[in-house]
Amino acid sequence: MIELTTPISEEDAAKLQVGDTVELSGYILCGRDAVLPRVIKMIEEGTIDDLGVDLRGQVIFHTAVSPAGVGPTSSNKLEIESSIAPLSKAGIRLHLGKGRLKQETIAALEQYNAVYAVIPPVTALLGSKTSEEKVIAFPELGMEALHLIKVDKYPAIIGAAHGRSIYDQDI
Amino acid sequence: MTRTYEEIVTLVRDTLVLAGSTFREDKKEAYRRAITAERNEKARWVLEQILENAEVAGRELSPLCDDTGIPHLVLEVGEDCALTGKMLDAIREGVAEGLRLLPGRPMGIMGDDRERIDQSGGLNPDSAGVEPAPILLRRCSENVIRLHILMFGGGPAIRAKTYRVFHKHDTQVVLDEIVNWACEAVGQLGCSPCTLGVGVGRSHFEAASMMLEAFAEGRYDEQSEMEQEITRRVNESNIGPLGLRGDTSVIATFMKVGPQRASGVRIVCVRPSCCFEPRIAAVELS
Repeated sequence: MIELTTPISEEDAAKLQVGDTVELSGYILCGRDAVLPRVIKMIEEGTIDDLGVDLRGQVIFHTAVSPAGVGPTSSNKLEIESSIAPLSKAGIRLHLGKGRLKQETIAALEQYNAVYAVIPPVTALLGSKTSEEKVIAFPELGMEALHLIKVDKYPAIIGAAHGRSIYDQDI
Repeated sequence: MTRTYEEIVTLVRDTLVLAGSTFREDKKEAYRRAITAERNEKARWVLEQILENAEVAGRELSPLCDDTGIPHLVLEVGEDCALTGKMLDAIREGVAEGLRLLPGRPMGIMGDDRERIDQSGGLNPDSAGVEPAPILLRRCSENVIRLHILMFGGGPAIRAKTYRVFHKHDTQVVLDEIVNWACEAVGQLGCSPCTLGVGVGRSHFEAASMMLEAFAEGRYDEQSEMEQEITRRVNESNIGPLGLRGDTSVIATFMKVGPQRASGVRIVCVRPSCCFEPRIAAVELS
């Protein structure tokens, strides 16, 4: 078991291999279909600093944040998967979700020294490991706004790293 | 025994919370068997996480999954039991209270027909804004009114399929098609292992109704020959928990075959319920 705490260093990100089991702690961002295209637009327009969160070494968890808790949505939805390359370029080092990614996305992760991790959809368990949550941007999106949460030992498996995918090999 | 309006509301509320937060014992046992039998280390780790999640959710009566689902109701009515409109109102109110208590994810969409399709009417911030699907009514042999509450999530709904199968006067042809559909659906779902719900009927409505009844009646420790065959063959696909490979793609199959017509076609409904579904609980209201 590898313990990771945000912000994740370039060295720690580079060491992660497909199939590694990790426990993730610290503050992480949460966003999905509705909000990620807006974050990308901020990056393109040069206004990302307005978020007030340094994206370097950060984690983005593909989830809504609602009174029911958190849990991964499919990372291969169009708006989510297309955010992975530009967010990695902007400094995100770990994308947390579920489902198989395209080869071009996996290549982009490698290019920017980022990884993709699969997290089981264990909402009750994650609730017991989540201590803080707040809206960072786009509050009008409700549960789909960009959130920042504090987590303690979220369980995950590295699903894509260094050009390889866990879905394309025996583990 | 006649129950008051308030008693029914409370019973339905608490049953919905149970449905959304607990694994029945036969399901826990099925997971324990799967953990023991699973040869893939990562797959076994995922199964253990799912079971631990169920223990935490059951203990705290909190949601098993953040997609808390759409309430689907099956109402059974016994011989001498009278079902009134007032009782249906109480059930509806109990569902709303249950969604607030669970709490359900506030994902009801507001607005007129057009706005509800494209989601431009906005989200209802009230968990109870998620309205239940139409009630499925059926006769039962016991002299009771019994309500089954099932919470259906979005992922399985995306991957489920209801379509016609030309059976060529051979049941194996239909089973083969069910396995093909299930392998494709389970592979795409991402939240395996699944419990497959299968309904076979004469129309799309009837096939989907049979699928719902299959979930209401199904037990993990009682599997028919056809159910076992479907489960075994999908598990041979090596999709595994969360699609990470392994022996456990499907925990069980619940199948119900309704009346059929003299025809070369059967209408089949296959729903790949996720690792937490069927989130189900039942209560007697009379």
